[in-house]
Amino acid sequence: MNLSASERERYSRHLLLPEIGAAGQARLKAARVLVVGAGGLGSPASLYLAAAGVGTLGIVDHDRVDLSNLQRQLLFDTGQIGASKALAAQTRLRALNPQIDVIAHDLELCADNAMDLLREYDYVLDGSDRLATRYLVNDACVLLKRTLISAAIHRFEGQAMCYVPDRGPCYRCLFPKSAEGAVPNCAEAGVLGVLPGVLGALQATEAIKLILGLGAPLVGRLLTYDALAMQWREFHFARREDCAVCGTNPTIASLQHGVEACGANSTDKSARLTPRQLRSLIDRAASHGTACTVVDVREPREFAAGHLADSVNIPLADLPRRWAEIPARVPLVFLCRSGRRSLAARELAARAGFEQATDLDGGLLAWAVVIEPEMTVAPFE
Amino acid sequence: MNTVRVASPLRSYTAGAAEVTASGATIAELLAGLERAHPGIRFRMIDEQDRIRPHIRIFIGRREVKRLDEPLRTSDEVHLICALSGG
Repeated sequence: MNLSASERERYSRHLLLPEIGAAGQARLKAARVLVVGAGGLGSPASLYLAAAGVGTLGIVDHDRVDLSNLQRQLLFDTGQIGASKALAAQTRLRALNPQIDVIAHDLELCADNAMDLLREYDYVLDGSDRLATRYLVNDACVLLKRTLISAAIHRFEGQAMCYVPDRGPCYRCLFPKSAEGAVPNCAEAGVLGVLPGVLGALQATEAIKLILGLGAPLVGRLLTYDALAMQWREFHFARREDCAVCGTNPTIASLQHGVEACGANSTDKSARLTPRQLRSLIDRAASHGTACTVVDVREPREFAAGHLADSVNIPLADLPRRWAEIPARVPLVFLCRSGRRSLAARELAARAGFEQATDLDGGLLAWAVVIEPEMTVAPFE
Repeated sequence: MNTVRVASPLRSYTAGAAEVTASGATIAELLAGLERAHPGIRFRMIDEQDRIRPHIRIFIGRREVKRLDEPLRTSDEVHLICALSGG
């Protein structure tokens, strides 16, 4: 694959490196890379991949740009608030490098579409902000034998690893099962804006190394980053013989619907309560003398900072051993800070036989906006 | 005493501390000591069947801990790692 004069000028700094040269640049041009999530990680990762000349760059995201994104999501600007992230990213990346093919996938990745989508690419960068999506992407990469470069962030910390088919362990070898609700995302916990800039660029670095066949990628290595201490650490992990997807006798042969797919789970989201509906439910119970149990599944520290009157605090992780404290056959409402953990609580409750369980959509953050502006809603750490 | 590095999502149990100390001849004893000093932290990491929860990993140095009865030396640094999800 020959480089044009324009490409030779654009990539001259790569061509000067003996380890890359024209042959390496041609490999980049032939590469097909998918970036899942055009957010904090996906922004720097995709910018650097485009700048490097990755020939086909796909961007998957179903969200719209909002103002809170601009603290860290460098693909976008203020004039694009409300725009499709996938399409806005495509515009930006094409402007940076018109000589590559940038494909916008404005969709929510789920079990129904992930295999077909990932099949079109050779490398996948996971910059999603949900554990469920991470497991979906991992499983699809294992099943399709695609290389995965995964990174994740939380407040001031990040972590990254690579899965290379037939060379090393996958994400499930490290964290075998999703624990949705037990691990906060950026909206719940907050994040240092520049943090994903570091980890996203690291993902692009690993992708480029793998495309070029250079250096030592993070195979069987979990790299962690502590921005406050400015420390990097490395941990080793091996392929698990009993890994559900890449082990000796895998139990996952196809992508699964349910908690680990499609941004939704088996709980009917339409049955969630709005803040006004919860207010009405509580008021009716009080006026009629009937029972209604409101369980706050946040951590005790969060509960102590501010909570609904008459709610009881049972942290999500404690629920399985404290079902006895919750009356059966009584309307049961879970709530948390933003509505993520409460959804997980509903799943657990349904499996434990609590058929009337529902939860507060948007959590106490929504409650504070609509019902009780003076409420203190603690951050999730 | 062993140095224990605590993942960010677990620091609500350590008053925000990224590094604490504990001791034990095994990981199990160290976790018991952590629980005494920071109540509730053990259950976040270990389930009712004494298994390490699937979103938690424990390392001694760079080496992954597979069993709670793994021996510890006093010079070992223990790392409590939590799966992160933000992007």
